[in-house]
Amino acid sequence: MAAPVYSTLFKRNSVFVAAIFAGAFSFSIGFDVLTSAYWDMHNRGKQWKDIRGRYIDKE
Amino acid sequence: MAMLTSRINLLPTSRALASGVPLAPKISFAVPSAGHEHGGRADAIPKFAGRSTGVLSLSRVNALPTSPSSPRYIHTSPRTPASATNANGVPDFSPYRAKGQGETNKTLSYFMVGSLGVLAASGAKSTVADILSNMAASADVLALAKIEVEMKSIPEGKNLIVKWRGKPVFIRHRTADEIDEANQVDVKTLRDPQADDDRVQRPEWLVMLGVCTHLGCVPIGEAGDYGGWFCPCHGSHYDISGRIRRGPAPLNLEIPEYQFNDDEEKLVIG
Repeated sequence: MAAPVYSTLFKRNSVFVAAIFAGAFSFSIGFDVLTSAYWDMHNRGKQWKDIRGRYIDKE
Repeated sequence: MAMLTSRINLLPTSRALASGVPLAPKISFAVPSAGHEHGGRADAIPKFAGRSTGVLSLSRVNALPTSPSSPRYIHTSPRTPASATNANGVPDFSPYRAKGQGETNKTLSYFMVGSLGVLAASGAKSTVADILSNMAASADVLALAKIEVEMKSIPEGKNLIVKWRGKPVFIRHRTADEIDEANQVDVKTLRDPQADDDRVQRPEWLVMLGVCTHLGCVPIGEAGDYGGWFCPCHGSHYDISGRIRRGPAPLNLEIPEYQFNDDEEKLVIG
């Protein structure tokens, strides 16, 4: 398990740094998705997108 | 000879007396040692400072720091006496060594470094994004910079003029004939060549800034020689797509940024 990870990711510094940046990109997206999903779950039924249907009638 | 080295814990001295004895206050030089009946002088060179023959028993010597700045080192003498486990008295570090293979250990170290890098890069990116969004226009300003027009309120073949950011905006709900007419024009013959498709998002809706490109008058709708707009100031004729056809104006009427909100059947300008 450790050896292929080392040889693919960590051996060359260019690959290592590129993997860090790619990881940061995906991490920030995943973190945003997770935290906003938690926020929406925590405030279910209170936000405008939840109660919009009560005030604006679909035609 | 016999030496007990295990419990000697001499701290560093910064000075030495002229006789060569390390200056160590509170040290008892009067410790009785074998072969000396008279106890020894206070400044005599003790056995531990020079000689190594004979029997030395210094187990209760505990020199204190001799100068205020002298650090009191943690003792590094081995817990087990010399020659108990190995000949050199080197401490046994095996409880502190990493278990497992060296390769795994190295990979884990790089993984931790990389994870810290990921978190730091993500945090730096968020910080920069927050600072930049702080400088951007706020949501209420952006909301004021847009206007919404009910698409149902404009029947086919009619113009509506709305004010947007201090300027008039022409919205025309074009008929199919007008769309055909706009498409039939040979683009190459125009002063400011632009196809009708490039000027509209949907052919039936034409949205333009109502400012003549000549000197900024407001053209009159459904007037002029080309069935579009006519500027009364200097006689510029615009066609049904808002393109300049005759007169002094150099460019077609400008197209603002707009989009359609189909859910609420609104045209959002801005």
